[in-house]
Amino acid sequence: MADIAAPNATVLAAGSRSGLHKLMQRKSTIAFLMALPLILLIAILVAYPAGYAVYLAMLNKSMSKFVGFGTFEFILKRQAFWDVVYQSCLFAISAVIFKAIIGFVVAHFVHNIPAKGQRKWRGMLLVPWVIPPAMSTLAWLWLFDPSYSAFNWIFAHFGISAVPWLGEAGWARFAVILVNIWAGAPFFMIMYLAALKSVPEQLHEAAAIDGATWWQKIWYVNLPMMRNIIAITALFSLIVTFANFDIVRVLTNGGPLTATQIFATWAFKVGIESGDIPQGAAVSLFMAPILAIAAAFILRNISKRGSEV
Amino acid sequence: MGSKRVSRRRFVGGTAALSSALVAAPFVRGAYAAGKLSLGLWDHWVPNANGATEKLIHEWGEKEKVEVQIDFITSQGNKLLLTTAAEAQAKSGHDILAMNTFLPARYAEQLVPVNAEMEKLVADNGKVNATVEYLGKVGGNWLAIPATIGSQIKGPCSRIDYMKQYAGIDVQKMYPAGAEPQDKDWTLDTFLKAAEACHKGGHPFGIGLGTTSDNVDTIGAIFHSFGAVLVDAKGEIVVKNDQVRQALDWYKKLMAFLPPDVAAWDDASNNKFLVSGQASMIMNPPSAWAVAKRDAPQVAEQCWTHPFPAGPKGRFGPFLPFFWGTWNFSKNVPAAKSLLMYLSQASSAEKMVVASGGYDLPAFEKLTKFKVWAEAEPPKGTLFSYPDPYHTQTLSIAAAPAPHKIAEQIYNLGLQTQMAVRYFKGEALEKTLDWASGELEGYMRN
Amino acid sequence: MANAAIAAGAAGRPIKYRSMSRDRQWAMRWSYFFLVLFVIFFLTPPLYMFITSLKSSGEISAAKNPWWVYAPTLSNYTELLGQNQYLVFFRNSALVSVCVVIVTMVISVTAAFALARMKFWGSATLATGVFLTYLIPDSLLFIPLFKMFAFVRDTTGIELMNHWWTLIIIYPTLSVPFATWIMIGYFASIPKELDEAALIDGATWMQTLTRIFIPVAMPGIIAATIFSFTVSWAQFLYPLAFTTSTDQLVLPVGIVTTLIKGDVFNWGQIMTGALLGAAPPLIIYAFLMDYYIAGLTAGATKG
Repeated sequence: MADIAAPNATVLAAGSRSGLHKLMQRKSTIAFLMALPLILLIAILVAYPAGYAVYLAMLNKSMSKFVGFGTFEFILKRQAFWDVVYQSCLFAISAVIFKAIIGFVVAHFVHNIPAKGQRKWRGMLLVPWVIPPAMSTLAWLWLFDPSYSAFNWIFAHFGISAVPWLGEAGWARFAVILVNIWAGAPFFMIMYLAALKSVPEQLHEAAAIDGATWWQKIWYVNLPMMRNIIAITALFSLIVTFANFDIVRVLTNGGPLTATQIFATWAFKVGIESGDIPQGAAVSLFMAPILAIAAAFILRNISKRGSEV
Repeated sequence: MGSKRVSRRRFVGGTAALSSALVAAPFVRGAYAAGKLSLGLWDHWVPNANGATEKLIHEWGEKEKVEVQIDFITSQGNKLLLTTAAEAQAKSGHDILAMNTFLPARYAEQLVPVNAEMEKLVADNGKVNATVEYLGKVGGNWLAIPATIGSQIKGPCSRIDYMKQYAGIDVQKMYPAGAEPQDKDWTLDTFLKAAEACHKGGHPFGIGLGTTSDNVDTIGAIFHSFGAVLVDAKGEIVVKNDQVRQALDWYKKLMAFLPPDVAAWDDASNNKFLVSGQASMIMNPPSAWAVAKRDAPQVAEQCWTHPFPAGPKGRFGPFLPFFWGTWNFSKNVPAAKSLLMYLSQASSAEKMVVASGGYDLPAFEKLTKFKVWAEAEPPKGTLFSYPDPYHTQTLSIAAAPAPHKIAEQIYNLGLQTQMAVRYFKGEALEKTLDWASGELEGYMRN
Repeated sequence: MANAAIAAGAAGRPIKYRSMSRDRQWAMRWSYFFLVLFVIFFLTPPLYMFITSLKSSGEISAAKNPWWVYAPTLSNYTELLGQNQYLVFFRNSALVSVCVVIVTMVISVTAAFALARMKFWGSATLATGVFLTYLIPDSLLFIPLFKMFAFVRDTTGIELMNHWWTLIIIYPTLSVPFATWIMIGYFASIPKELDEAALIDGATWMQTLTRIFIPVAMPGIIAATIFSFTVSWAQFLYPLAFTTSTDQLVLPVGIVTTLIKGDVFNWGQIMTGALLGAAPPLIIYAFLMDYYIAGLTAGATKG
């Protein structure tokens, strides 16, 4: 890139009008070259394999024949697939809602205490988000272990019978959602805290003088001011949660039965473990339309930002 | 535990800029390809069992002047399965790869047939059991060699004390060490009564109903002992039959006496249940006992491994075989075959079995009489009946005799355990069968 | 409304102020109370990891009080760190993460600058396209990638399977889009006059970027760096799919596949491994958290 820039420098040094003109003409070329690594990265390692995956999804099971939308038709008829759709939505939506609520609430608590102490609290609250999920999920797995559950040990002391954390459909779903909330809520907390800090203090004082209660201040002052960032963070998180793999994989591997199978783990199960790669690819592809809806929202937001620049 | 690398191929051309570590690596691409061999073996669950295998392979390597690289790959989380799939797709990887149960059949077209080798091995080591033949021989061709490492019978491992105390069954008398079994009364009915009694005593049987192999193997053997078949050898769905109904009824009764969360158990859950002292019985090869010996000796002293109870159609025990397969894209097929023959000798097999504390169970008939099983302790004779020395059981695999592509799905997706759990959770029997039949239709996809 | 309220406040009503501060005190007490609860919720798993890591496997299988260590031992730590294998995982993780961070930052900073400041034909589409990559799940991509690896080997002889450095090529697909996005946001917040002035003074675009934009956007760059590091340190699916040999594994996969053995009971070591694996990002956050938060939120809250 340096050698591209160099001639421009000489041209500029000449300081002629036409030189500037040429530069303006060339600006787009330089810009394109600067963006080229990004374009190549995305084209080769994302766009191409994604297109390839679409092609794979149109093959038959032994990958010897092109069957068009046959695999998709097949999948749409499978009860197991619709269970996965339901479970993925349940998992992603409830996890994101609770992450947002907890993040919002905790951000307010941190915001309420004196600024001096905030750093310490924030640091402790951020820990779950920093630990790689595959690692922290191991800790949860061990906390939920059927024979050695440390939670059940506490419950036993209060006379509560052992909870089959990962053993029953309802509990297992609760458990994977809980772990996801645990790992994701701190991110919301940080984003919301930053948004809270950007709410002008005068607004709060003014509201207080107007006799607004604590709740009213949150509802009428903070919430509208934070609306944008609440939406962006939630959408971001929705995408990531929807495509989640490691937490479910490590914690339940989709069990009991298939009660916690979500898109990524199910695609893995049918594609790799059962040797039906086209079906695995097709299952993954079904994530796309659902994510596209989320994308539409984000894009709207981004284009808004773009026009402000 | 880990991988020891005698040497390794490195292809660095064109990636030199990536890191200095790489630049330092010698550029030996393909130069000595004839003298190299890489293996992906099953990472043994018995502590330190990998060592003996490593030693054997290195001995061979030194003798044959072949540089060998061994990777021990865990089957936990299906990593080994994923590796196999990845190598098949990328058409590169280990020359020899350990493949369990249905994988040789799945990758039949990408494996080098080993008919001559198997002929020789059968001549030397005796017949292989029917399960191994069903899984390893496809279309008249042997696709892989039955491996000693990791092959196992997943029979009951009972607690001597609890079984006596709660169920009134003396497992040591039933399957005495060094003598003929006295197992006439060891039937599914007795089993059920024992399960109930032990459940009442607060030490239930630890039989999982998840979709991992321990759970599927157990239910597979029980189904066989009822003669319950889901898909027949011709690939016809025959799930709606009385034998399947009986088997599910039996399982429903059994599940009432199992811990409440068995539907979520994986291959490790039953082991933990035994080692923690809660179980009266689990269905597992002796690795659970071996761990108990290390961490909870008082539990190990009470363990006794023995054959399955008999059902209306006979006594079936689940045999889970591993195979060693060679990819057809391997660059060194002759060396791979030579090593596999070396590892399959009686003397090599015995070393592996000993190192695994008796866990490994060769599939060849003459290799099931090693001293280690008779001598393992505590308690003395605990593993005597593990290799089924008197051949009281028919060794089986769940989902047999269905065609491999269908059987594999039944096995991997745990269809039988799923059926049992559905029925137990209150679904009407016919509805469960309808559901299973629908699933099976899906498995027919090709 | 705001103006009116401020005016009213200016009129001065001391009584109201006192009640406000009392309100605040109560709010503060409640805040501390709930914060303690949340901290307990958030820190229980890591704490439990730590407790378990101090136990021998005998003590764990004895199933006494799981929350207490009766005979603390460091044997899990010494065994793990004494194993060459674990150190190799660590080294691989560190090398991969550092390289990925460098690659990511070079690609995303230059591209973000071009996209935010220079505009060319299709740049708006590209900006949204970058974003769309975020929507393509990695579980969709890894199988086609196997095929592409096979193609690369057949044409060039370069083997990409089962090498840790392959991850350096793959991971940027996960870190670059978000990093670019943060950087676009950050660059957009820099006043236009700055680069116009620089250009008129005769600086090239590259100089403008390196001398003016990068120093000004440092908080954003630090945030994007930390983000990329965290992403590559934590990635699970790709290394699970692409690496097999123990000397090629990175930490999360290494721990999950070598320490967990179906039947063997070494939760003490698993927890130790997980805890040590979590340590580097934790340490980085402990020192750079403030930058991270500042940069992330400045980049992301724009607009």
